[in-house]
Amino acid sequence: MKLKKLTVLSMFTTLALIIFTVESAIPPLVPIPGIKLGLANIVTLVILHNYSAKDALLVLLMRILLSSFFFGQAMSLLYSLAGGLLCLVAMVLVHRLLQGHILYLISMVGAIFHNLGQLTVAYFITSVPGVLVYLPFLLISGILTGLFTGLCAHFIQKYLWPLTDGSRFFPKSGDDNWE
Amino acid sequence: MKYSYPEKTAYRRRALLLALLLAFVAIGSLLWIALHATDSETHKQNMLIADIYQDGSLLQSIALSNVEEAYRFTVTGDNGSVNEIEVRQGSIGILSASCPDKLCVHQGFISNSLLPITCLPNRLVIQIRMETSDIELPDMITY
Repeated sequence: MKLKKLTVLSMFTTLALIIFTVESAIPPLVPIPGIKLGLANIVTLVILHNYSAKDALLVLLMRILLSSFFFGQAMSLLYSLAGGLLCLVAMVLVHRLLQGHILYLISMVGAIFHNLGQLTVAYFITSVPGVLVYLPFLLISGILTGLFTGLCAHFIQKYLWPLTDGSRFFPKSGDDNWE
Repeated sequence: MKYSYPEKTAYRRRALLLALLLAFVAIGSLLWIALHATDSETHKQNMLIADIYQDGSLLQSIALSNVEEAYRFTVTGDNGSVNEIEVRQGSIGILSASCPDKLCVHQGFISNSLLPITCLPNRLVIQIRMETSDIELPDMITY
C-alpha cells in the first residue's frame, strides 16, 4: 500500500473514530435500544463513494476494532461487526445499482441493513423471540437516520469536490501513487 | 469523469423503485406499530404478566396486576452483571444496571407489550404479555 493511501485512509479512520466517540457520549434520543444516528457511517459512505468498497471496508474494520479496544467489550464488537458489515455490503450493492447517485437513498438502505444485522445478533444473544418486536421500530429509525447521515454525506461531498478535481488528496483510480 | 452528469435515466428508475420499496417498508412498520399499540390499549383490563429472561431462559413471571406494593430486586447474571428491577402495580422497569450504556434504564417503566425492555450487554429481557383468562394467578412464580 502506498504511503499516500495509508495516510489518507488512516486520517479517515481517525475521523470516524472521533465521530463515533462523540456520538456515544450523546445521551440516547429515543429510549429504544439499537436506535442511534450512526454518524460514523458518513465517513464509510464518503470513502465508498470517492474511493472503493475495499477502502471503505478497511476503514470500517479499523474503526470498529479500535473503538472496541478503546472503550468496548467483546459484546459490542460483535454487534458493531454484524451491523457494520451488513450495512457496507448493502451500500456497495445500492451504490452500484444507482451508479453512485442519490447518496441518501444508499445510506437509508445501509442503515436498515445495519439495524437488521444488530437485531439478528441481539436475537441470537438473548435467544428471546420477543426482541423481534423491535423490528418495525428499527426499520423506521433506519430510514430516518439513514436519510440524515446520507444528507450529511451529500453536503460534505460538495465541500470535498474541489479536492476530488485532480488533487493529490483524492487521487483518481489508476493514479500510480495510490494503489 | 466522475462529476459530469450525462443523460441517464436507468438509475432514476431504479431509485424510484427503491424509494417506493422504502416507503412501503415505512408504512408497513407504522401500521404494525399502530395496530399493536391500539391492541395493547384495549386489553388493559386483562392480566399483565411480566416475563424476565436472562440468557434465553425464563427467570421469573410476575403478575403485575396483582402487585399491591412496589418492590425491588436484583438479577445477577453469570458474568457478574447486575440489574436492579422495580415492580409496581401494572408496570415494571430497571432502576440501575451494570452495563455501560444504561439503555435499559433509559427505557423507563413499561406497562404494555409494545416494547420489551432489553439489556443486551447483560442478556436480560423483560417482556409483558396479556393473559386473557380470569383465573387468579399467584403473585409471582419463580423457576
